[in-house]
Amino acid sequence: MAATSDDGVTLQVDARRVFRKRIAGALAPIAILVFSAISASAQTASDFANANPLFQGILARPSDLNNTLQYAASASAGNIESAIGAYEQLLFYNPTLSRVRFELGVLYYRLGSYDMARGYFQSALQMRDISTELRQRAEDLLTIIDKKLQPDQFSGFAQTGLRYQTNAGAGPGPQGVLASGRTFDSRFFSQGDWNWFGAFGLNYVHDFEDQNGDTFEASALGYDAQQFKLHQFDIGLLEFRAGPRFGIPSDSVNGLSIKPYVVATGAVLADAPYYDGIGGGLTVHANVGNVALDPYVEVVQQSFHNSTFYPLAAGLSGTLSTYALQGSGPVASGMAWQSRVAFAHASDNFGPYSYDVYAVDVWLPWNFSFPGDGRIWTLTPTAGLSSWLYNAPDPTIDPAITPRSTEWRVGIGLDIPVWKQITLGTLLQYRADVSNVAAFSMHDLSVSAGPTFKF
Amino acid sequence: MLIGTALIAAPATAQQVGTATAVNPLSETTPPGAATVALTVGARIVHKERIHTTPTGTVQLAFLDKSTLSIAPNTSILIDDYVYDPNSSTGHLLVSLTEGALRFVGGELSHQGQASIATPAAAIGIRGGTVTITHDKNGTHVINHFGVITIHNGGGTVVISRPGFEVTIMNWNTPPGQPERITAAEITHYLELLTSKRGQNGGVPGLKTIAIGACGILGLQSTNCPNTPWIATDNGESDAFQLIIQATQLGTGQTQHAMTPRQRPIR
Repeated sequence: MAATSDDGVTLQVDARRVFRKRIAGALAPIAILVFSAISASAQTASDFANANPLFQGILARPSDLNNTLQYAASASAGNIESAIGAYEQLLFYNPTLSRVRFELGVLYYRLGSYDMARGYFQSALQMRDISTELRQRAEDLLTIIDKKLQPDQFSGFAQTGLRYQTNAGAGPGPQGVLASGRTFDSRFFSQGDWNWFGAFGLNYVHDFEDQNGDTFEASALGYDAQQFKLHQFDIGLLEFRAGPRFGIPSDSVNGLSIKPYVVATGAVLADAPYYDGIGGGLTVHANVGNVALDPYVEVVQQSFHNSTFYPLAAGLSGTLSTYALQGSGPVASGMAWQSRVAFAHASDNFGPYSYDVYAVDVWLPWNFSFPGDGRIWTLTPTAGLSSWLYNAPDPTIDPAITPRSTEWRVGIGLDIPVWKQITLGTLLQYRADVSNVAAFSMHDLSVSAGPTFKF
Repeated sequence: MLIGTALIAAPATAQQVGTATAVNPLSETTPPGAATVALTVGARIVHKERIHTTPTGTVQLAFLDKSTLSIAPNTSILIDDYVYDPNSSTGHLLVSLTEGALRFVGGELSHQGQASIATPAAAIGIRGGTVTITHDKNGTHVINHFGVITIHNGGGTVVISRPGFEVTIMNWNTPPGQPERITAAEITHYLELLTSKRGQNGGVPGLKTIAIGACGILGLQSTNCPNTPWIATDNGESDAFQLIIQATQLGTGQTQHAMTPRQRPIR
């Protein structure tokens, strides 16, 4: 839709057309993740075929401003460079429009051309017509860009909060296990409890500044939760990962790189050493169309330690091998998708504890702002499904049945901006395990909230 | 042989390869075999056309393959060669830059690695890609914004494969320098140089405001949102809870008399 006023021309994007284009653009990437065989480059070729009437309009009638804007907006969904050309055309017609400079900044940002993106965002901030929302978003992106252009990049978060769970230990309901006719430890039955939790993450990237884009990456993740009543479930977890990432120049795949890494994990449970693991993996990163793909293989030697509460834990020791594909991409205005499909095999010292697990999880983070306030809120619905297939019956549970469990989980998180880099994170989650063994069936509803500091 | 539809339809002397989509005066054009005239918005750009800008002139050209060329003041270029088959998206593009500065934003031909820009100091092959190129008495300067840029001359070959890096080439017989990071000041300079100045309108007056819709602002829509790289979607809670699930399954199987009250943790 376009409107013309006496003192000039006001242009507006046809939102429905753009939305349809965006949805079409999003479907191809999702298909890639699922089928791993469809190239997203087809999206570009089909969407922007040479008979594109909007582009033909640019060649025939370049002064048709509405046509140029519609082309720029539609090209943004899949042909970034062509969109850049069209927005730069509009900038020639009026170099003082902050909105056009901002769009160009985002397009260059999406190309990974952070210097150009920074230049356009900085120039947008100098324009008189810039709105509060646009200023906030430009400043947010400039903060990210400044970090990306440093040879040594640090990022991370720290979080704390309170959580209530209807089933803090993920235990079975007493009725189910009583019906099975067996005797179990009732302290592990389903019980509600509160906990305090704290978490932090620290990521470091060193850019070697070579033409391949080689880097060294390291990360640390820590989590601790202290129960109010059920202290057998007090847990602390610490994980380190590190490895070099080697860029692979490629004509057909953008941003291709490979990264071998080591991983070390330790955990305490009920104030006693419970678990440590050490291993390594190999991950590849590739951008295919608008989709970022990160498949990985990881093998970890796990050691579980017997303790007062968990005298059988050592039987879980063994090797855990994981094969997974992570992907992410845009869906629509402000909404993205992230997904992980994984298969893992645990070969444990005590044979019945060995298992295979298939899992799939999807996150749909949606960033939005309220008019007049450019700060970003994030609403993230999540859903996941896992299928656990144990190798043999567990004699302590039921010597006659090989456990098979299906876990499904849904949740919704809301990240609310509070002040500068501090947000209030809230999360509502429901998990349910349905098993052919009553002791493995459970369900849990949890709600948590607390401040998060991100940098 | 690749022949574009426009090439089939038009006489050889007037083969349109693109359009002047923005023109600030004074910018001049010299079509092959014709006199030099002022360039205007909407003018058809043809094979072997020369374009020259004065100290106030800037131009943007859009080519059939959707690539664009922004031309700075005091710049002279020649559309040396342009062949494009829209059905197969193949062909090649060669532009000669005699002096001045330009920014090339890639289209179908550069995606095939079939776009080149020649200066007196180097031949610059573009795959991708988006690039700013200048040439003056100090030589040629190439800035990669996106794609893989191959710089070749009598002294050797250098490839820039990362955005934000630049190479300087003194002359045809001197080997190209090694890629170095571009400075923010240089980017700002070229962004200002390669578009209209305040008060100019590229030959199309009247554009006062523009409503695109911000990415993620309630009630509005935009397709142009920053990429969302993979981020960790939990804070360790998921891994911790998985350990608890396993531990509970073990614990459930233990008999109640296996533990004494003394064994419970003390808080």
